[in-house]
Amino acid sequence: MAEVTPVRLAGDGKKRFQEDALPLLDSLYAGALRMTRNPADAEDLVQETMMRAYRAFDRFEAGTNLKAWLFRILTNAYINTYRKKQREPQKVSSDELEDFDLYRELKNHDPQFTKSPESIVMDSVMDSDIMAALDDLPEQFKLAVVLSDVEDFTYAEMAEIMEVPLGTVMSRLHRGRKALQKRLWELARDRGIGPGGHDQPSGDEMSKDDGTHP
Amino acid sequence: MCKEYLQRAYLFLDGEVLSETERADIQIHLEECTPCLDRYGLEQDLISLIGRLRTATPCPDALKMRLGSLLDNA
Repeated sequence: MAEVTPVRLAGDGKKRFQEDALPLLDSLYAGALRMTRNPADAEDLVQETMMRAYRAFDRFEAGTNLKAWLFRILTNAYINTYRKKQREPQKVSSDELEDFDLYRELKNHDPQFTKSPESIVMDSVMDSDIMAALDDLPEQFKLAVVLSDVEDFTYAEMAEIMEVPLGTVMSRLHRGRKALQKRLWELARDRGIGPGGHDQPSGDEMSKDDGTHP
Repeated sequence: MCKEYLQRAYLFLDGEVLSETERADIQIHLEECTPCLDRYGLEQDLISLIGRLRTATPCPDALKMRLGSLLDNA
């Protein structure tokens, strides 16, 4: 746990931080948990983020997006501290990725599109699969996908959080989603989706995740 | 060209701001081009699939209390 350096914000600043930042703790913790995959690390990360944010709060521009600002601190703290501990993600070869096209794969699998194509993939993956597939992505791709599709940040906010230009945000998001589609498709295929996908459960089954898997 | 329409359609999908004209262009193209519409739908569904991870675990109360008192004493 990082040592907490005593700091003093003017009375107003402290009150404002408590009023504005503390209500975002649930979002921050959920984000931290998605990054670290471990409650103890997530708690440490959130605490470190909040203390760093508090110390830097006089540099926060009032009226701008506090959640994005906090996520930038969270992301930096995560990259600097926790990523080093974790295994290197599998490398996704660029060529391999550029060649992949889920739409084409699904078309080949079921030329008539007798079953809605997405449900072929969606029916056979669970939330834990999505999480595991995300974890296999290079860190910057994973981050882009999570910030966009789970945390619902805009491209501009993501650019601020990741401290990269908008074009880089879009390319990481695009490549991240594509890599994720590839993993999920491979997973669905390995689980033996039959020709046409007729042997799969109906669409109603897809949300049956009781949350018991880690 | 389909690829360009699709790229802009994905901006639309991500809730990015587009002009009225741009939106109308995309709309018309998607209505006329089945493969693009299918791709668009596929992308949309995959994004909502990832969104399943949104189910948030709330911040533990112990951490909230600890941070509250750290800040009180800061």
